[in-house]
Amino acid sequence: MTNEEICAKIKAMLVENLRIPEDELENDSELFGDDIGLDSIDSIEIIAGIDNLFGVQMTGAARENFQSINTLAKFVEEHL
Amino acid sequence: MNNSDRRVVVTGLGLCCALGDNVSECWNNAVNGITGIKEINTFDTEGCYAKLGAESHIPSKELSGEDYDRSSLLCIKAAGEALSDAGYEITEENSDRIGVIIGNCVGGAASIDVYYTDEMKNGGGKSSDILKMTASAIANNVAKHFGMNGVTANIVNACAAGTISLSYACDLIRAGKADAFAAGGSDSFTSLAFAGFHALHALDENPCSPFNNSHGITLGEGAGVLIIESYEHAAARGAKIYCEILGSGVSSDAHHITAPRPDGEGQMLAINRAIKKSGLEPKDIDYINAHGTGTAKNDEAEFLSLHTIFGENNHLSVSSTKSMTGHCLGAAGSIEAVLTVKSVCENVVPPTIGYTEENLETLKEKAGNIDFVPNKKHEKTINYAASNSFAFGGNNASVVFAKEPHKIPDNTNNERIFVTGIGEIIGKNRIEISSDDYKEHGIKMAFWRKLDRFSQLQLVGGMRALRDAGITVDDNNSADIGIIIGTANGPLTEIVNFQKNVIENGTASGSAFSFPNTVYNAAGGYFSIFAGIKGYNVTNANGNQAGLQSLCYAADVLRNGDESIMVAAGVDECTDVTEFLSGRLGLTDKGVVLGEGSVSLILETEKSANARSAKKYAELKGWSCAHKSVEFGSIAGSESALEKAILGACENAGISTADIDIVSGFANGDKELDELEKNVFAKLFGEKCRFINVREEVGEAGAAAAAEQAAVLAKTLNEGNNGTYALAVSVGSGGQYSAVVLKKVG
Repeated sequence: MTNEEICAKIKAMLVENLRIPEDELENDSELFGDDIGLDSIDSIEIIAGIDNLFGVQMTGAARENFQSINTLAKFVEEHL
Repeated sequence: MNNSDRRVVVTGLGLCCALGDNVSECWNNAVNGITGIKEINTFDTEGCYAKLGAESHIPSKELSGEDYDRSSLLCIKAAGEALSDAGYEITEENSDRIGVIIGNCVGGAASIDVYYTDEMKNGGGKSSDILKMTASAIANNVAKHFGMNGVTANIVNACAAGTISLSYACDLIRAGKADAFAAGGSDSFTSLAFAGFHALHALDENPCSPFNNSHGITLGEGAGVLIIESYEHAAARGAKIYCEILGSGVSSDAHHITAPRPDGEGQMLAINRAIKKSGLEPKDIDYINAHGTGTAKNDEAEFLSLHTIFGENNHLSVSSTKSMTGHCLGAAGSIEAVLTVKSVCENVVPPTIGYTEENLETLKEKAGNIDFVPNKKHEKTINYAASNSFAFGGNNASVVFAKEPHKIPDNTNNERIFVTGIGEIIGKNRIEISSDDYKEHGIKMAFWRKLDRFSQLQLVGGMRALRDAGITVDDNNSADIGIIIGTANGPLTEIVNFQKNVIENGTASGSAFSFPNTVYNAAGGYFSIFAGIKGYNVTNANGNQAGLQSLCYAADVLRNGDESIMVAAGVDECTDVTEFLSGRLGLTDKGVVLGEGSVSLILETEKSANARSAKKYAELKGWSCAHKSVEFGSIAGSESALEKAILGACENAGISTADIDIVSGFANGDKELDELEKNVFAKLFGEKCRFINVREEVGEAGAAAAAEQAAVLAKTLNEGNNGTYALAVSVGSGGQYSAVVLKKVG
């Protein structure tokens, strides 16, 4: 799976599961910043979503891995 | 007689939960520290990190003879014990003076699970299960079973519901609107709630031990029902009296949809209101049955609230019986109320169990002047006791019980009440909500995206009403503003989608993101959070008419002197889920066009409206609710309650039906419903009367359409020479009616 494919899958999951408007979400958008405003409940959903999509466990992963679609994808690539 | 002169007493108790099948069994186990928490039987917990719960062992079929959802059946079981304990004989003559007000959280989630399990297997979902889905059915089912025809309500404020139901019932008795209520709460053990709290990592893998381990909750199920009466009524029939109910307090955190405010501000507002309205001071309270869920966030906030309020009280005991009953959600407050009444009568405080020797040492260091009753009951004289309940959505409630009569202060506010703002987002079928609709109120996408459609509709409707009224919520007025939301079906779409995912992928796969939206009061919670409203906050699920009942309820809150401004709203959604289920029930074949929306009206006392030179659409001159219990899913045979609601609202307004110039009814294209309305209207209203049917414009938008009836009339009276008095009346499934009379200003 290429990085691009992983990013696309994560983006689709965030749009579907967390109701983030697709046109406001870029691969480098700051997920926990003011604009998108994810919080601790959303991070639970991201962990479950990543597990479902890739079988990769993110429970306990460092905060910086959750910054953006790009950082999530990097973590997934390293743990696939 | 002033409202404050009217004593409210408890004359009957009924209880059914994991601790036992009746009050006596539950009480004996509670005081002896025997837990009801065990391995779960109701559903599969494969893959879940927690596997414990506190289920009632009684199969649904043995609870009562009807084919209702388990929440209703548990409630009927407890109500039967309570009525029998009270020696309350319901007759044709007295049946309309005893109503049913039930707190509930998950509604018919167990039946939603059954329906969609059948449906997803082979398309074989049973229509009879559809009628069991909404919380709207519960109070009606209880009323129907026992032949009670007084006012009904289903208070659906999640974990605070069972306490708010008692508060509302007491207020209605003090206002002279009923002699008695079967009031309490009920909830069944469901995969919905378990999967949701599991997803939030809020379950303790061991039995919960609130204020001790605080590792999470253990869920439970059950029902608690209290027969509460005016003292005069109880005395006249020679009833035994357990104790008095004094004041109660309801408030809103305006902070977070699931977490309590860490500083306890909202909790303390509810507790302080209850104590003040009881004519007491914090030093008077002997025992508090705490909310005490066992989550770190609840326990820390409540611990802080209790120490802050009761710092000068050196005889206060606090315990959480949830350590034995589990957290029974919408039933929690009522189960704890029954146990608190027993405490007051028996002078025994049940313990919080689960303390080890090491825990006891830690407790000594942190308890301060409060006795947390670890592991073993304490015997002491209890003159005054309170029960706390806090909920998702930031709703808080507290109620005070007393051994002896105690004079409470009179806060009745008899000022005139005006409609000073209207906010509408409503239409046929599915209406379009664009980003402009939320951005115009400064709502950011980051907040908006968390909301399901039901909550989105309410947020837009509510914010439009506040803007129309010119109300800015700030630190000075935030606690003087309250919210009553009425709904027929609540956030059914979010609930169904959550449940379908659990059915398909297992209990361990619940969505943490959508679970907070599956509680009926989430819409009111989000609205209060965004608007900053910290006063009264209640959601009532009671059929389509709940959108008008919200005005009646809000007006009662104003009369009671609790707030000076109320947002009264009706909200229901139209989605693929509701269209599908309505189709299965044959509603659309009958010629009913569905709709959706939220309509909010601002009701305000004269002094408050004048102080800020508010525009006044109309005066709310009279309001009345009436019920004739017929089978949920029908209204046939309930004509007498329609007539009674109309006549009651006119009498309350000091007029007769002949004075009414405009009437807005509930006709929606369903022949049976339209005929019933036509016959009663022809009997009561003259030929000169003008009739306005809002559903021709907005469709059957449930409770939103009912609130729209009042909104349209208020605007019509305000626009030129359209008459002096207007009446709106609406119906809910099972025969509940609400009516309001509006008067032209000037």
